[in-house]
Amino acid sequence: MTAQPTDEVLLDMHRRMVRIRNFEQEAGKLAEDGKIPGALHLYVGQEAVAAGVMTHLSDQDWITSTHRGHGHLIAKGGEFGPMFAELFGRATGYCKGKGGSMHISNMDLGMLGANGIVGAGPPIAVGAAFSCKTQGEGHVAATFFGDGASNEGSFHEAANMASLYKLPMLFVCENNGYGEYTPQANHQAIVDVADRAPGYGMPGVVVDGMDAVAVYEAAGEALRRARAGEGPTLLECKTYRFFDHVGVRGMGLSYRTDEELAEWQKRDPITLFEARLAELEILDADSAQAVHDEVLAGVRAGIEFAEASPLPDPSVLLDDVYA
Amino acid sequence: MTPRPIGILANPASGKDIRRLVARASVFDNQEKRAIVTRCLAGIAALGQPEIVYFDDSHGIARGGLEAAAVQGTPVARTNTGRADDTTRAAAEMRAADCGAVITLGGDGTNRAFAKGWLDAPLLPLSTGTNNVFPRIVEGTLAGMAAAAVASGRVGLADVSRRAKVIHVTVDGQDDDIALIDAAATNDRFVGARALLDCERLVLAVLATATPTAVGLTSVGGLLLPVAGSEDFAAVVRFELPGRPALHRVRAPIAPGMFQDVGVATASHVAFGDRITLEGPGVLAFDGERERTLAAGQRATMEVRRDGPHVIDVERILRSGAALGVVHAVQNEELRDAV
Repeated sequence: MTAQPTDEVLLDMHRRMVRIRNFEQEAGKLAEDGKIPGALHLYVGQEAVAAGVMTHLSDQDWITSTHRGHGHLIAKGGEFGPMFAELFGRATGYCKGKGGSMHISNMDLGMLGANGIVGAGPPIAVGAAFSCKTQGEGHVAATFFGDGASNEGSFHEAANMASLYKLPMLFVCENNGYGEYTPQANHQAIVDVADRAPGYGMPGVVVDGMDAVAVYEAAGEALRRARAGEGPTLLECKTYRFFDHVGVRGMGLSYRTDEELAEWQKRDPITLFEARLAELEILDADSAQAVHDEVLAGVRAGIEFAEASPLPDPSVLLDDVYA
Repeated sequence: MTPRPIGILANPASGKDIRRLVARASVFDNQEKRAIVTRCLAGIAALGQPEIVYFDDSHGIARGGLEAAAVQGTPVARTNTGRADDTTRAAAEMRAADCGAVITLGGDGTNRAFAKGWLDAPLLPLSTGTNNVFPRIVEGTLAGMAAAAVASGRVGLADVSRRAKVIHVTVDGQDDDIALIDAAATNDRFVGARALLDCERLVLAVLATATPTAVGLTSVGGLLLPVAGSEDFAAVVRFELPGRPALHRVRAPIAPGMFQDVGVATASHVAFGDRITLEGPGVLAFDGERERTLAAGQRATMEVRRDGPHVIDVERILRSGAALGVVHAVQNEELRDAV
């Protein structure tokens, strides 16, 4: 059974969440100012999911991400400089400026890529999990996807194969209640995506995705099962994105209400976590602020690094193209 | 007697927590809960068609069940948050609607949340949870009949029910919470994934019911010092820290398919009205789920009383088929002679 997190782990999860929050807020400002090309799908509000899962993973464990992928890479150990450089399309980016926000990846960190295609990650993770099983070194693959992606055939095929081959894999559904701009009730007849797990012969669990410790406990147990050869798990984290589907304010569509947003913001995963850490005398308010300040300074240094970096030379256009 | 409405409440969150990973519990999917609601309505219809009041849960379970049965109902607690508070609010609204019987679908935690909103409710709890002591497995069709028998006045509630025991919990002198089966203190620091699974962290448990015929904390007392739901006392178990000599070691089924060796320092009966006090820091768990943290120095007091829901006994009702109006004596003499 996964033990409750130590002080060290708690502080680590806090830092991961703060890194995501500050990166995304600054990226959002840059996007709104038109300084970053293309669409950014920001992860603010969902930080507890990435932090709670990624704390259990090493660089040798694989993840696949989504169009909302910055948080996953940051929680997996991504550095601000090459991340911003990638968003700016610079040669120093993680993908040499050719991937951008929705295709950012880093093999050294075990990050197989964000993905602009909804539901494209799970089959890739099945392949990674298959290689983990074949190599037999106890590594795992985790795939992040949303409630909308759980309607795609690719999710169902991946769930079927992962369970059939008892792969060391974790399906992490970040159910934020909306498939892009479509409320969940308008795109699927179920509310708990975890209900789909028994149909594929794997356990499905629902946890509070705004509570990093809840995610940590459930993910820890699911990954223990995976590493022990007991097969995959579908972990559904109920969460909410505080920003729009794209950017911060988005297109101003009326698909959700201000009241609903305000209700979820009362359960801000970082605010609640910091309050509990203060109660436990693990991290007081001043120390928490110091973490934010230090991280924000790092974020700004990352932006400066990106802005000072060169654009890719046109001569490398076809480099790294495999097909 | 004027027939009273029947309440229906299904908890969409029951049967989905971490015990599907740590233990061997099953996923209880919401489509099945919806089907149970529909079958309850068939049972209710067999005894007439009273007014239905239903909790309009976030997953549309009860609403979907009514639609499938082509039954109209009155929704309560329509604006819901997807959390346990919804159940408590729905209970209060069902009380205001003067429901004569309420069918709940969930586990111990669901019924606890319901009782917080309506402590002396006429309750028929169906098990769709994980560790279930309070609700039992009963076919929905029969539960519907039994609920209709009570709500219509065909049988008297007092004749076919028993008040449940309740563990009342106060923190720093303020009424704080209740539990129906067990209230425990652990040395955890977080509520986290909620389910109470690590017995090495247990400090103390008050057991209103301690039965060896159910899984969960109740089984620890049940194997050591059983207390039936009908008995007018409870049990208190103080646990021993890991590695220290214990008075008893109990190999207890703490969750479905999962045993743990539990070290017990003391176990004794506790009378109604006796108060058990403990001090934080720690976490308080009610009916198998970690619910709230207790800060250092905060004092929690637990006291057991029999002032909980009137739990309807389905079998006792259905044994009197004639009284329900579903069994009629045949008056035709020729036919009677032929038989």
